[in-house]
Amino acid sequence: MQKFKLNHTVISFLPIVVFIPITYQLINDFHLGGLELFIDFVKSAVTPKVNKEIINISLTRLNETIIISFISWIISIIFGTIFGILTSDIFYKLIRIPIFVKYLLKFILNIIRSIHELVWCLILIQIFGINIWIGILAICFPFIAINAKVISEQLEMISVETIESITSLNGDNLSSLVTLVWSPTINIIKNFGLYRLECSIRSTAILGFFGIGGIGTSIFLSFQALNFNEMWTYLYFISFLILFSKQILQQFKLKRLNLNFSILIIFVSLIITFFSFCFLIYLLVNNYYPSNFLFSKTLFLNFFNLPENFLKSIFDTIILSVFASAIAISIPPILLLISQNKYFIITLRLIAFIFRVIPPTIIILVLLVFNQPSLSLASITLGFYNAGITFKLLNDNLSEIDRNNFIAFKSIGISNRSSWLIGLFIKQSKSYLSYCAYRSDIIIRETTIVSIVGSLGLGWQLKESLSSFAWNEVFIIVLSYSSIAIIGELINDKIKSKLI
Amino acid sequence: MKSLIELTNISFKLKNIKILNNINFKIYEGEKIALLGKSGSGKTTLISILNGTRRQTSGDIKIYGKSFNKLDNSQKRKLGTIWQDLRLVDDLSAEQNVNVGLLNNKNLIFTFKNLLNISSFHKAHNCMELCQLNRSIYSKNIKSISGGQKQRIAISRSIIHEPEILFADEPFNNLDPKLCFYLKNLFISRLNNYKIEFPNTILFSLHKIDLIDGFTRVIGLKNGEICLDTKRDELRESDLENIY
Repeated sequence: MQKFKLNHTVISFLPIVVFIPITYQLINDFHLGGLELFIDFVKSAVTPKVNKEIINISLTRLNETIIISFISWIISIIFGTIFGILTSDIFYKLIRIPIFVKYLLKFILNIIRSIHELVWCLILIQIFGINIWIGILAICFPFIAINAKVISEQLEMISVETIESITSLNGDNLSSLVTLVWSPTINIIKNFGLYRLECSIRSTAILGFFGIGGIGTSIFLSFQALNFNEMWTYLYFISFLILFSKQILQQFKLKRLNLNFSILIIFVSLIITFFSFCFLIYLLVNNYYPSNFLFSKTLFLNFFNLPENFLKSIFDTIILSVFASAIAISIPPILLLISQNKYFIITLRLIAFIFRVIPPTIIILVLLVFNQPSLSLASITLGFYNAGITFKLLNDNLSEIDRNNFIAFKSIGISNRSSWLIGLFIKQSKSYLSYCAYRSDIIIRETTIVSIVGSLGLGWQLKESLSSFAWNEVFIIVLSYSSIAIIGELINDKIKSKLI
Repeated sequence: MKSLIELTNISFKLKNIKILNNINFKIYEGEKIALLGKSGSGKTTLISILNGTRRQTSGDIKIYGKSFNKLDNSQKRKLGTIWQDLRLVDDLSAEQNVNVGLLNNKNLIFTFKNLLNISSFHKAHNCMELCQLNRSIYSKNIKSISGGQKQRIAISRSIIHEPEILFADEPFNNLDPKLCFYLKNLFISRLNNYKIEFPNTILFSLHKIDLIDGFTRVIGLKNGEICLDTKRDELRESDLENIY
């Protein structure tokens, strides 16, 4: 009897089944109440507000965004590198420090990483008030932990032979460590670190919705005032910023930096780090700090006093993560399977870019003009936002791989779709799924963004608890978020290790 | 005899290096052509131009009286190729790979059924048996089987859709002499017990001269130009010396 086989190619398409319950709910909740508003929103995309005043505001706000994202990026790279080295095996092989320090650090970093920057931001705002530095800190916390993880994973790849060849020289341990980690670390910073700047810009825009400043704040305020023309002007500015920064960073990747420029970068990085430290200490010792926060007994867990519908919120958050991941995984290959027409792909690339640039908070608010707040609405928002990212990755990778099989199959009359599936996508499906497993980790954390705006899940609970200063509830919610993210990450790690 | 393919003044350049220069010939229905030439003489490029996977730099090629991009899928289905690099799909089993040859006659549903391993493999098994492949490898992943077996899987894939014209780029690589002769004779005689319709017209690029018996015509390539085009019966020893 033939054995039914599920291969990676088919698995990439299967998650599309989540559209059955999602579509059912969306159709049930559909209304045309906001049609006029939506038409106005779309029309404004081609008639953005352009005058001297708005350009001045945009540039000022863009400056704030650049400052927040750039500073948080530099700090997260520096500390990410330090913690990355401190949590790698190679460090403990060369420096005599008990290995439990590594596990302790990893544990702390895992928890910090599992909490989205928006959660950090909301908590910090509640404690210290709205401040541009709160945004920087909120982005830095998870980003440092993410960078540390990537760097430590890469350093684990240094072969035993290389380590032995350096240590056999019997030189100073610290010099041996620097010799071993210097080149791989610089390479990671060059490749992965530069991509993190784009993430930092996007996060700054999202946090801006919650008041930390930058162009995100302007986007939100203009959206709230239904001033769509103005909102589109800001969106175009941030698109320009993302595209422009990508171009600049591409240049850095390709060119060797000259010595003077490298010294300047290191100098600026050190100054920024020094000032950030000073500010952090200032925040901690200043009377902004609510005296009843840390030592309050309400901070300790009280499971008898859980927020209302707490378990439902956890369930909603898990379902939201699963549905959004399923959409982000299955939509790109399905769209590319439909047609390989050049113009169709250009259109898809444009749509994917729009989804990447428009913050999910705006997407969900726009969708809310047609639908009730629901799990399905939040899922498609987060799903499509991430599908914009997975689409870009898949399309870029497909354009780089060898097309020989695809051409060969087409030459014997196999249809375009089948040739694409068997000749191209099949080669990429494994690595695509592996990336999607990593993306799912991010999606779990990003559920916070849509759940706060979409009135469901733990994000909404968090907002409610924060606004009533119910710190024990906040603590339980953050703990739950962290647990879901860590468990999700463990599952995804298992999936990734099976795929690689 | 009906002319199926016609090449007129075909030239091909790659980075300003001439790979093929002014190639002219016709392929008639029922012909069995052996394409000979040293490594680098342009055999693979010529086959890629014949099956439409490469565009000539200049000149004209007509297949069934049309240029390649004007052929519809039903006409393309009549063509088949055995590639030098085999072009098998790594993530599929041997039998799934052979079934890929059938995709030109089927819809996307069949492609998915093949991926899920729930399509019919009856014809694929017949072709594989004809190529003397052991049953034990049918369901094995292509990555875990030997070079000779892969070669025969590629041959099976090329015959499963029963093309009228088959181009093959060194199709008997990696095979022992006995198997080479057996498979060559299958293509020449077209006789088999599985009712598989073998291609009536073939053009095989060959490395081993002892395999040219049975072919009706021999074309020799040297430095990208045709240096020999003769009937097999009229081929002389000195002609071969001229090619190599």
